Amino acid sequence: MKIVAVTACPTGIAHTYMAAEALENAAKKLGHKIKVETQGSIGIENKITQKEIDESDLVIFAADVAVKEESRFKDKPIYKVEAQKAIKNAKAVIEEALKLVNK
Amino acid sequence: MLINKNLVTLNLEAKNKEEAIIKLAELAQKEGKITSVDEYARSVLDREKASTTGVGNGIAIPHGKSKAVKEAMIVFGKTTDGIEWDSLDSKPVNLIFLLGVPEENVDNVHLKILSQLSRKLMNDSFIEMLKKAVTVEEILNALSDIQVS
Repeated sequence: MKIVAVTACPTGIAHTYMAAEALENAAKKLGHKIKVETQGSIGIENKITQKEIDESDLVIFAADVAVKEESRFKDKPIYKVEAQKAIKNAKAVIEEALKLVNK
Repeated sequence: MLINKNLVTLNLEAKNKEEAIIKLAELAQKEGKITSVDEYARSVLDREKASTTGVGNGIAIPHGKSKAVKEAMIVFGKTTDGIEWDSLDSKPVNLIFLLGVPEENVDNVHLKILSQLSRKLMNDSFIEMLKKAVTVEEILNALSDIQVS
């Protein structure tokens, strides 16, 4: 599967990046491709392009605040979860999210 | 420098989360990183209320953005008696990274280092290295490896 994900949190200092790292590690272990965009205090990094969205199977938002430019993802199944859920158990988050595709 | 030897303590003694944050903030004040322990600690505790920063594996990463912060900083505290932190895995905390950033004029390089540190805290071998560390130098060495890409 090709997954694109966005992480964000209120202060944008820690959880945004921990969630991103956790999702990247878990996706690799599960054998999926993932690109994670971080929307933190530094601004948007590793920005997901429209082409990458079009080619993806699934979108994950691990965010405690509104995702910027959310409309980019409107044609894709989106799984939304709190950032800390991804930090705690990113594997479970990805597995749950995949159910949106495998229905 | 985000961290130096005076911002590391290997035998933090605190009864609870609030006390731990205040004791670590006092180190930051001594080093001139913050202007007010109270004001800074309040920003950190407000952040804790939104959701815990006890991310599991014995680690907490309390942080605050505040006018009381003069320059971005990391304060590290290690404690032998675990501190209750309402962690995601419900376990007490032994390694605490207290982060502070100023409200305005934040240096992106500092923010990048803090983001890299956050990522590294998801890495088991990095955590093991910090848990095994017995000297301040070992902690500083582990943290000095953080590169800004």
